[in-house]
Amino acid sequence: MTLGTKGARWVSVVAAAALLAGTVGAQGAAMAASRKPAGTKVATLLETGSSLLYPLFNIWIPSYNKVHPNVQITPGSTGSGTGISDAEDGTVQIGASDAYLPPTAKSTNGGSMLNVPLGISAQMINFNLPGLNAKHLHLNGPILAGIFSGKIKKWNAPAIAKLNKGVKLPNHAIIPIRRIDGSGDTFLFTQYMTFSAGSAWAPGYGTTVNWPAVGNEISAQGNSGMVTALNSTPYGVAYIGISYENEIVSHKLGIAAIENKAGKFLTPNPSDIQFAAAAMVSKTPSSEALSLIFSPGANSYPIINYEYAILDTKQANATDAKWVKDFLTWCLTTGQSMSYLNQVHFQPLPHFVVNMSKAQLNRLQG
Amino acid sequence: MSGTRSDRLYRVGAGLVAGAVPLVLAAILVFILFDGLPAIRYMGVQFWTSISWNLGNEYGTALTVRNGVQAMQGASFGILPYILGTLLTSVVALVIAVPLGVGTALFLSEWAPARLRTFLSALVELLAGVPSVVYGLWGLAVVVPAVGASVAPWMAAHLGFIPFFAGSPGSGPGLLAAGVVLAIMVLPLIAATTRDAMIQTPQAQREAAYALGLTKWEAVSAVVLRGSRPAIVGASILGLGRALGETMAVLMVCGGAVNLLPGNLYGPVNTLAAVIASQLDSALTDSTQMAVHALAAVALTLFVISLIVNGLARLIVREEARA
Repeated sequence: MTLGTKGARWVSVVAAAALLAGTVGAQGAAMAASRKPAGTKVATLLETGSSLLYPLFNIWIPSYNKVHPNVQITPGSTGSGTGISDAEDGTVQIGASDAYLPPTAKSTNGGSMLNVPLGISAQMINFNLPGLNAKHLHLNGPILAGIFSGKIKKWNAPAIAKLNKGVKLPNHAIIPIRRIDGSGDTFLFTQYMTFSAGSAWAPGYGTTVNWPAVGNEISAQGNSGMVTALNSTPYGVAYIGISYENEIVSHKLGIAAIENKAGKFLTPNPSDIQFAAAAMVSKTPSSEALSLIFSPGANSYPIINYEYAILDTKQANATDAKWVKDFLTWCLTTGQSMSYLNQVHFQPLPHFVVNMSKAQLNRLQG
Repeated sequence: MSGTRSDRLYRVGAGLVAGAVPLVLAAILVFILFDGLPAIRYMGVQFWTSISWNLGNEYGTALTVRNGVQAMQGASFGILPYILGTLLTSVVALVIAVPLGVGTALFLSEWAPARLRTFLSALVELLAGVPSVVYGLWGLAVVVPAVGASVAPWMAAHLGFIPFFAGSPGSGPGLLAAGVVLAIMVLPLIAATTRDAMIQTPQAQREAAYALGLTKWEAVSAVVLRGSRPAIVGASILGLGRALGETMAVLMVCGGAVNLLPGNLYGPVNTLAAVIASQLDSALTDSTQMAVHALAAVALTLFVISLIVNGLARLIVREEARA
């Protein structure tokens, strides 16, 4: 059943909500005697954006609510494009994006928009090849560019076979699966192809790009939609955020080993993500807009990124500003514990980046 | 004719309410026309003839300026694939739904025993009330895997001699899956409307047919089917109208093709309505607003197509009724 993951996700969201409601009730009662009447909300915050970051917010928020039961935070998995535009027009207090803000956004709202890293994430290249999903197929930027621009049409194409000696590749058409919504994952994936494939990838990078026409193409909405689509599409290939690795494993789909700048093929495992991050993070500017894609170094996994909170420094009121800052500061301190990050296969930010993020949060005003 | 004061009040009130309907329609048209104009200015006639759809590079260094309006770098809005996708999915839906719907209606009005007729008619009407997203979910969970795994490969292998039936059977989502889901959605509309017309066939005409020695089937086809032809055409056009504008269910099963003309019956497509729904998120991130204007122009195109279809329907029904 292809809807298994989605169903499970809903159940877990409902369960989390129920749990949350329970904690709020209990703690509120305990606090009633000392401070406030039970259940009084001090702030109601909305978050929309990245479906890659969404599972982590669902882990963070219940824990944060144990400390601050009266701050209600509702996350939404909408794709990074929506997260950025919602934060820009003030629909939500917190937008989430896998991509840093585009330069065109700098002029938005009089230059008051911030991108604040909350963690380090990575992207998988996944495939659904009957009988081969246990293997880590070797792929690189030029091959992915060929597949997603329709020039490499079959799994047993010479270019793919050359990188996968000894693997019996099927004589079957490749079905590229891509995001239809404005997506930070599209940004990361197309940036990897732009940096690694040279002229083989013409469309450039962005949260939406001018996808070349490929006869077999399929589009899906959000990372969970990508998992569902890949699972129901034998011979498909897709780019999916690492926070969905558990779903990929439970569906027994393949995770490719991707060629890095040094010519080594790596899967997105924790040490290689950390290695890649270590090579890049020192270049982080004070605006914290930095691509970590195709990082140098022998053991650098090539598709990693900062996961950003997109914020308007001019929040609607002082209360919102205070609690957005409080919640995100919690995410940058307590929230960096591996007990949270491990569940979605994220890596923590280095200390000096945490400090830069905190400095940016200090600019929030009511 | 001089009415009382309350008569006059009633007349004015009813006139105002009735007048509001065309006014709202006109207001919507004017709104999407003005909102869509910048995109049409940007693209010119290529808006309808180009196949290149690209919101532009938000990380680009410069804006693209054309005919005095600006968009994100490299932006191009060509909606020909979506126009064709909209028309094709609707045609596939009608090809499946009209025979099924007319057959259902014939059975309900001519053959079904009274009790079964009531029960089945209620079921058909129930089918019409199911929200479209439910059909989409069913399409995604049942139709798409079935089309991808067996229906499309079989059709491509055995019916490939028919143009448009040959070629790659695709992987499930696409024109055929969208057509099947749409067919199920418009089926109750066609069946219910046609049945109502068939039931109204005068009993005397049926008896006259029997008196001439016709068999049941001959009588039904000569009297009932012939007599309800305007209703069948009208119902089909109503169904077409619904299929053209259906959004959610199509979005979930059409494969979301961009920059791609439909190549055969199985490949991915996209429709005007589905594009508006799926691209709005991304369009809102465009600081030049041009992407939103382009979606408004897409809506305008869909609006005009619907108007033309409805106009044609009225013409055809009138001709049929006269004949």
